[in-house]
Amino acid sequence: MKITINGEAINLDIDPETPLVWAIRDHLGLTGTKFGCGGGYCGACTVHVEGKATRSCITPLETVADKAITTIEGMPQNGELHPVQAAFLEHQVPQCSWCMVGQMMTAAAFLAENNTPTEAEIVNAMGSNYCRCGCYVRIKAAVTAAAETMQEAN
Amino acid sequence: MTSDEITNTKRKRRFWRPTRRQFLIGAGATGVVAAGGLYFGIPFARLQIAEVLDSGAGAPGGVDADPPLWFEIQPNNDILFHMTKVEMGQGIHTALKQIAAEELGAEWDQIKVVSAGTLRGPNDGFGTGGSSSVPTMYGPIREAAAAMREMLRLKAAEKLGVAAADISIANGIATASAGDNLTYGEIVADVTEWAELEETPVLKPQTEFEFIGKTRPRIDFESKLTGEAVYGFDARMDGMLYGAVVRPTHIEATFVSADISAAQDIDGVVDILVTDDFVGVVAESRYAAQKARDAIDVTWDTGKLWQQAELEALVSVGNGRATAIQREGSGAKALQSGKLISADYRSPMAAHAHLEPQSALVEVTPDLVTVHASTQSPSLVQGEVAEALGVEEDIVDVKALYLGGGFGRKLNNGSAVDAARLSAHVGRPVHVGWDRTEEFRNGYVRPLTHSKLTAKLGADGLIESMSHEQASGDVAFPFFPAIAASFLGADFGAWRGGRIQYDVPNRETVAWRTPMPLKTGWWRGLGLMCNTFAVECFIDEVAQVAGMDPLEFRLKHLGADEKTAQLKMVLQAAAEAADWGAPLPEGHAQGIALSTDVGTPCAQVAEISMENGRIRVHKVTAAIDPGLMINPDGVLAQTQGSIIMGLSSVFNEELIVKDGMITAENFNNYPLITMKETPEIDVVLLESTGIPKGMGEPPIGPIAAAVGNAYFALTGERLRRLPLRPTPPVADVAAAGDPTRGEEVYNQCIACHGDQGSQIPGLDYGLNDSEWLAKSSDTDIFDVIRNGRAGDHPDNISGINMPGFGQLSDQEIYDVVAYLRALP
Repeated sequence: MKITINGEAINLDIDPETPLVWAIRDHLGLTGTKFGCGGGYCGACTVHVEGKATRSCITPLETVADKAITTIEGMPQNGELHPVQAAFLEHQVPQCSWCMVGQMMTAAAFLAENNTPTEAEIVNAMGSNYCRCGCYVRIKAAVTAAAETMQEAN
Repeated sequence: MTSDEITNTKRKRRFWRPTRRQFLIGAGATGVVAAGGLYFGIPFARLQIAEVLDSGAGAPGGVDADPPLWFEIQPNNDILFHMTKVEMGQGIHTALKQIAAEELGAEWDQIKVVSAGTLRGPNDGFGTGGSSSVPTMYGPIREAAAAMREMLRLKAAEKLGVAAADISIANGIATASAGDNLTYGEIVADVTEWAELEETPVLKPQTEFEFIGKTRPRIDFESKLTGEAVYGFDARMDGMLYGAVVRPTHIEATFVSADISAAQDIDGVVDILVTDDFVGVVAESRYAAQKARDAIDVTWDTGKLWQQAELEALVSVGNGRATAIQREGSGAKALQSGKLISADYRSPMAAHAHLEPQSALVEVTPDLVTVHASTQSPSLVQGEVAEALGVEEDIVDVKALYLGGGFGRKLNNGSAVDAARLSAHVGRPVHVGWDRTEEFRNGYVRPLTHSKLTAKLGADGLIESMSHEQASGDVAFPFFPAIAASFLGADFGAWRGGRIQYDVPNRETVAWRTPMPLKTGWWRGLGLMCNTFAVECFIDEVAQVAGMDPLEFRLKHLGADEKTAQLKMVLQAAAEAADWGAPLPEGHAQGIALSTDVGTPCAQVAEISMENGRIRVHKVTAAIDPGLMINPDGVLAQTQGSIIMGLSSVFNEELIVKDGMITAENFNNYPLITMKETPEIDVVLLESTGIPKGMGEPPIGPIAAAVGNAYFALTGERLRRLPLRPTPPVADVAAAGDPTRGEEVYNQCIACHGDQGSQIPGLDYGLNDSEWLAKSSDTDIFDVIRNGRAGDHPDNISGINMPGFGQLSDQEIYDVVAYLRALP
């Protein structure tokens, strides 16, 4: 089966029902994408499929055949962190950081659609990603800051 | 010095080190016992031990003191700092690097933090937990770093042919007054042996600190935010396979037999190991391993089919074994007459819900067992794996990788034992990562608690006498040899936060130890939040009877000695920052609470309102005094995180046992707090001493009580159970429900209440025929379904506990009430 991951076309000869999260992590070795719950509830495994934030733990590999997938490893451009990554670093957002890749992938897809979000829109967009360490105050601040950077870039 | 030499040094040292078990009990506590136990008897000793543990002085320290075990200098001038404490989000790698950097005489970037393994670097029998890392390592790391610097100075002097006093050290370079210099890398190039220092090195005074006390960016974040950081779940090895293990379905289940025929045929399955207590699959992929595991048909003896109500009845004051852990003045004797104020509080079981499930990669070979794991205690995992495999501990090399959260759950790491057994069976490295259902149902949980509080006011309107009787499942004892439990009596983890901290002339705290039939254990703060919830809501209740403002009432009971003066200062700081008493927006109210844990007091003010029948927390203002702050932004982060994690327990978290099983299987029926419920958080950082105290857990103490007290201030209703679930939003509950949907929801009530409400446990008639149903309002019925009803509640007609079903939505409860109302 062919998928495109971070711009690279790859043939993957595994059980097509394999959840995308295991294909990415175990078969392609891209362990930046995390596993949290396996039920699509926590958001730790969020990747982009055709630019849309997608929970890879409930996405069978066969449903993304021929589609473009982006993981955290594909987010930096020209050696520069994605504005969302840069903002999370600047705001010292994480604690354990297991959820943070999913948080950033969710935020990046959201901000690509709407880079002038209201606070309520940010809370709504980020409100289904769990952070057990309780970094929500800083996540909100960093997403707000990233939106500003992305506005300036446009 | 090479790595092999470090390993050798370490191995030599092992023989005179105390064993792990002796070490865990703690030198401070045993010292007291030896004196107290002998002359004054065990109960007196127990009170003394409780005093020591409560002050935060009981946390074991004791680590290898040899500087070259900690600091390995590379030819390129890098200093590898072999870190025994694990990074689980709390920022300890950054904080300990700041402490080391202060004395090493090296540049910040020159110091590279690497995880010590159990066969390499210094030894640490305690692990990472109990908010103890900074307080116990601050001294030893500074001393080791200073000693390392002085040892380098001596070697440099020897090499340059000058006196040691002639050498100055800065930025990792030793320079003689004549100008000759050597980098650290050059100094150690041919060093094979280090001489012990004859004099204790002089430490830098605090006024000259460059690194300690300054906010530094976390050293682990860049790799974490790019996805490069390696956690236990991310561990990789050539030729590795994936394992998955069959777990018991019920809390008391024991294995009978397994039919593996269907599982064997699944593509990718390498082997299936079945022993008399273990069934695990090894496969080429994780998906195949899990699919095969799920295809194994296992027969269990389920054991007793426990119900929630039975567990709550078990964990009740008056059950189990009582141990006094605080007695001042006449203790509870002063509460035998007069006008008594009393109340009961309960808290539920809760999961750790660290988002990285526990995981380990293990390679078993005849001479060496390599374990890469996310664990809070490499040395415990070393012991567990050695025991499971029947090998000596000194061939088990456990390397801690980053942890995706720990919260007490990852002190033990069952996945390492799983992976070790499977690797030994197939002869290749095996990775085991638990799934979410395993985490909810097969780990250990925060135990149930029950608190009974009684107080009496004196003529001056202040508390003359107060007692707190506290029952809890075990917290620390499951991890100790049985001898510790029989000696200490009360589980110090269970009662943490339960002692009465106010200046009350007669006060007593008694811990009832009520072990539960499922595994219970460490959770962030141990008993701190739940005990504080009971004590601090009760203080508010007493203030109400005394007719005083909750803040003013508390302040009048603080300040008699140095310890409560510190509490007073923290309480005042929080109240001031929160503008306590100032007018609030319409429909808002504030609540205040105070706790102290491991020497770190914390006070919080919560401002709430009601939104759609649920509590909305708008703002939490906290003041905390952890003494010397190594990295102030880290202190801030721990406070924010503790408050948010605590709020999750306030709003949602509750593990329920039904028919012998934990009902939660994933986050759909055990939801956590999200950004949507997160309040604004304002933190006042205080630093009243130059000694660092614990910081990872103390700020979780007051939050539940602060919110509960705010809810009382707003509504006049006192909620005495976590999670806090107010009475329903609609007046006509049954009319808001649909009896047909209610019948479906009612399916989970049938076990106790029979088909169509035909039973009440312990009585010979059913709900449908009960006067209780006839006379109760819809709101009452809603309340009982949501919050349960204790067996000793005056309106409980059977005397048997009814568990709360907090996991049901408002609508589902409306539906059930409508269904009950429609019963024939």
